[in-house]
Amino acid sequence: MTEITLTVNGIDKTVDAEPRRLLADMLRQEFGLSGVHIGCAHGACGCCTVHLDGTPRLSCLTFAVQCDGATITTVEAMGGALAEHPLQLAFRSEHGLQCGYCTPGFIMTLAPFVDDMVAQRRMPDDGEIREAMSGNICRCTGYHGIVAAVRKAIGAGLGKDA
Amino acid sequence: MRPASFEYHRARSLEHALELLAEFGDDGRPIAGGQSLVPMMNFRLARPAHLVDIDKLPLAGIEADGPTLRIGALTRHEDYFGHPLIAEHFPAILDAVHYIGHPTIRRNGSTGGSISHADPTAELPAVAVLYDAEIVARSASEERRIPAAEFFLSAYVTALEPGEMVVALEFPLPPQNSAGSFIELGERSGDFATASVGISIEHDGVSVVRAAMVCSGADLVPIRAPEVEALLAGQPLAAPPAAEAGSSFAASIDPANDHIASAEYRRALIAQLTQRAIVAACTRALEKS
Amino acid sequence: MKAEQPRHIGARIQRFEDIRLLSGLARYIDDIRLPDMLHATFVRADIAHARIVGVDSSALGDLGYATWMFTGEDTAGLSMKAHQDYPEMQYSEQPLLAEGRVRFVGEPVAVVLAEDAYRAEDAAEHVLVEYDPLPVVGTMQQARDPALPPLFDGWTGNVIVQRQMKGGDLEAARAQAAHVVKRTYRTQRQAGVPMECRGVVAHYNPGDRVLTVWSSTQMPHLVRTYISEELNLPESRIRVVAPDVGGGFGVKGQVYGDEVLVAWLAMKTGRPVKWIEDRREHLIASIHARDHEHTLEAYVAADGRVLGLKADITVDNGAYSTYPFTSAGEPGMVGKVLPGPYDLKAYEATFRAVATNKCPIGTYRGVARPSAVFSQERLMDDIAVELGMDPIELRLKNVVRQFPYKNVLGFTYDEGSYAQSLEQMQTLLAKDIAAAEASRGSDTTRIGVGLACFIEQTAHGTPDFTRRRVPIETGYIAARVDMSPDGEATVDLGLQNHGQGLETTMAQVAADALGIRPENVYVRHGDTLTTPYSVGTWGSRGGPLGGGAVHVAATRLADKLRAIAAHLLQAKPDQIELADGVASVRGNPGNRIEIRKLARAALRNVDRLPDGMTPGLEAHASVDGPRDGTYSNAVHAAVVEIDVQTGKMKLLRFVVVEDCGTILNPLVVDGQVRGGVVQGIGSAMFEHFIYDAECQPLTTNFADYLMPLAPEIPDIEVHHIETPTPLTPLGAKGLGEGGAIGPAAAIANAVASALQVGVESTPLNANALWALSRHIRERAEA
Repeated sequence: MTEITLTVNGIDKTVDAEPRRLLADMLRQEFGLSGVHIGCAHGACGCCTVHLDGTPRLSCLTFAVQCDGATITTVEAMGGALAEHPLQLAFRSEHGLQCGYCTPGFIMTLAPFVDDMVAQRRMPDDGEIREAMSGNICRCTGYHGIVAAVRKAIGAGLGKDA
Repeated sequence: MRPASFEYHRARSLEHALELLAEFGDDGRPIAGGQSLVPMMNFRLARPAHLVDIDKLPLAGIEADGPTLRIGALTRHEDYFGHPLIAEHFPAILDAVHYIGHPTIRRNGSTGGSISHADPTAELPAVAVLYDAEIVARSASEERRIPAAEFFLSAYVTALEPGEMVVALEFPLPPQNSAGSFIELGERSGDFATASVGISIEHDGVSVVRAAMVCSGADLVPIRAPEVEALLAGQPLAAPPAAEAGSSFAASIDPANDHIASAEYRRALIAQLTQRAIVAACTRALEKS
Repeated sequence: MKAEQPRHIGARIQRFEDIRLLSGLARYIDDIRLPDMLHATFVRADIAHARIVGVDSSALGDLGYATWMFTGEDTAGLSMKAHQDYPEMQYSEQPLLAEGRVRFVGEPVAVVLAEDAYRAEDAAEHVLVEYDPLPVVGTMQQARDPALPPLFDGWTGNVIVQRQMKGGDLEAARAQAAHVVKRTYRTQRQAGVPMECRGVVAHYNPGDRVLTVWSSTQMPHLVRTYISEELNLPESRIRVVAPDVGGGFGVKGQVYGDEVLVAWLAMKTGRPVKWIEDRREHLIASIHARDHEHTLEAYVAADGRVLGLKADITVDNGAYSTYPFTSAGEPGMVGKVLPGPYDLKAYEATFRAVATNKCPIGTYRGVARPSAVFSQERLMDDIAVELGMDPIELRLKNVVRQFPYKNVLGFTYDEGSYAQSLEQMQTLLAKDIAAAEASRGSDTTRIGVGLACFIEQTAHGTPDFTRRRVPIETGYIAARVDMSPDGEATVDLGLQNHGQGLETTMAQVAADALGIRPENVYVRHGDTLTTPYSVGTWGSRGGPLGGGAVHVAATRLADKLRAIAAHLLQAKPDQIELADGVASVRGNPGNRIEIRKLARAALRNVDRLPDGMTPGLEAHASVDGPRDGTYSNAVHAAVVEIDVQTGKMKLLRFVVVEDCGTILNPLVVDGQVRGGVVQGIGSAMFEHFIYDAECQPLTTNFADYLMPLAPEIPDIEVHHIETPTPLTPLGAKGLGEGGAIGPAAAIANAVASALQVGVESTPLNANALWALSRHIRERAEA
């Protein structure tokens, strides 16, 4: 066992971690963050994406012990219990989710992309939007609503209705 | 699908990492982004007894050192994008990096990790072979520079010795009048390639002076194509014998026949990619001239 | 009693369940955690066909932590039995844990439990199984070879069942035909592959003798019934809960042996037990689908009228029959649906299921129809080529135009828009058809346009299952609606929601009937403790039957509200309108009372009720499907661009014109169609479970089993025609599966049109397309 301290969704916590414990399991079991979903456990579906020190990371390919001292954000901290992050609101209005299992991973992958585009003051084309989500598999929506949601969230950030 | 037990060691410095790796020998593996290693561990196809975490060591960076471009082992794939030295001197690398996985993989996956994993159709091993890179490997006792062409021994097998790790890649800077391209085809975006071809040429504005070609998917490791390279030398940029190069190279290889693709298809695909990569490189050369 | 004017049905309302799913507050099976819980890991067969010589678990004792291990000897006699009542069918049972013999790679041989999931996986590695290999039956051809030994003792050969269905005079059709077009078509083994794997948690409370089972299932009541019968427990003491379910697509519309086994383990160990399937297990041992070969022979008149069709259908069923749709389900469905939207007067189908040493076959969105429509619609294009006709004109010549229509097998089609949807598609594709024709001379890049015209029998009623003598037995859906004293309504629904938006659409339906807002309706589902017995969510029955049941139950409740209102407002019940939370007298809107006050009168101030009226506000309804179901129809079209030299295909456009009757919520309908289409694109282009000659699976992870990713997929254009059916309470037909049915046919037809070549099989990956382009390259070289 190795003692590690993680700052998760703004709260510091010290836990004992078996080295092999995946960050995904640690977040789910020790931090009660059930929004972290495991879809494949081999880095091929994106369901488990969280932010590690501010950037998207596959928590099924990361050992918790590697994250000692790191800051982690999960979907629970994005828009709260009412899911009020602009990208979450856009997912809802554009029907960017059905069963919801892949959804937290998409939100965590795409929120920085939306921020980046807004910072660059530009609306990406569909190809760029689809490439940005190319590491995430959604089996329900056919991606259509997710693409529309990203466009809408960027449009909102740019201050116009997309 | 959870890994077998191991002991975890966070390296405080490169020297510390190398000491640990020397101590563990075959039982130790360095880990950085974990994008290749951890899937293997979760399937329990890899079960190192010791992981040495080098992720935070100062081994990232792309910089010119005289006639050499040095890329640190912990340089992430996405760091290649927009880097002026890559864009200016290594167009085939820039092309190749676009094909690597997906945004999250490119952000977290490391250069050293991809080189050490040695997937037969991974992009960085291919461009390392194309540009005659040297793999800088360090152990507690020595530093070796291994030519890329001698580094990849078979699928997932490299010349690294127990206790050794990749610390950098060193690419000789091509001369001023150079151009290149890299083309691959996979079933979906981000998949490992069915096959890929990279071309690098030196030219005089009119003709090819010297050419290099690499192909993945023809064999268990990326291979060079000396006949094509010889054929292209002296040929006009405006009308290189690309189709001939493609078919002659395809006739010389013996690709795998498996559930992903037939050998016949791989051979034809490689001929086509060779042709297209040559045309793309020559077109770029003319555009730049 | 007459329904209120729809206010919420048909509205594009954002889904209520989204907030829970987006915020991370949803609870899926792996989020169920109980004190003292044990974690189960299976030891699975790594050889496709063998006798089990022995299981050595002696190493478990040296691990230094507690483990439990069980084999087929411990569970002897417990099995999955999925018998269709056909006298000639060869029955198989799959033991919960293999007994003496394994028949596919991935079959559970032993189960190991520990207090931590990582340790359970470690421990399972210490259980060594010794096998004595047997020769494998690996292909349909081998399965039909009587010289090969049968997979089960007592069987004769490996044909599980072979039957015929027919109608009309096929000999006459053959005699009249100017053309006979015979082709063999093949679709590949694939599966639904939801993003959440399956999983089961069970807990037995000896105090009240209640067994609680949580399972990621589409059919909690059927899981309860099966566990009750197999473990001999009263069904009243079993509670099955489907929590949030991360996609189903039919894969979770089966009862699995592990659901029974985990329940058994919880009772056996006295501890709660959890099993979460991993992705490799899912890909090798949860059900597969669509492994079909069809040989069709069409008898066609000179003018293009298809006079008769003869079909020979084989399905590679894998090793075992699955519950409740059985190994006869897939081939029988093909036989039943092949006549399709066409006015066919003579038909004969021979269909069979064969057993091989592969993962068992079961349901996947569309259930056999993606394969059937692939063959039916490839055949129409092949006929068009043979006759030199335009493929759309050929279809327009053959589609059914008069409704109701009794087809060659005696099934009655309700009103549809077959010709209209074809004509609409023809207009939508005009430019693409021109572009495709212009590309015909190219040796490098070809464009193709292909379409699939199909119908889908949805919302099957009990008679359809009775005719098939299949263990599902029935097809009704039930709902209970009640109102509490504050005027808030609860719908307890026999359906289970795993992405279909039922928590929203069913609230819309109830709200319209009750005259309240959808926000004031709480839809509960998936828990046998609170919901009325039903068969679950599958077979495109949620909207038509679930919606129907909610509508009927809510209308009954509304009738009581109207009666109370009439009493309090001194009017007649049929003068009362319920809308916007208020009951008012028609023509005298000032005479009104809030619905919540009616609810309070019904439940608390019962002295205000009319004389003789029973207190309470609760209604139950069940709605069965029509005898022959209700038929949705659609035309799908694909526009593709193919690189003739590399075989790389780009989907330029995918267009749907569909008719599912009354639309409950367009947001949800469009989402269902688009999601289904992209699964169908996966079927057409990428997804394939491949086995080697020894029946070892080669596609056991997401780097090998390739599902569509966003960059490969275009926007999916959806156009609606709304032809309500008289056969369901709201006029809705089923639409959950249709999206997945057409794409393989449409894309294959687009490829055939682009390359001017016959296309006989999927998946149409780069290697396949390169092979199909050979003649173009050879022509260019010549």
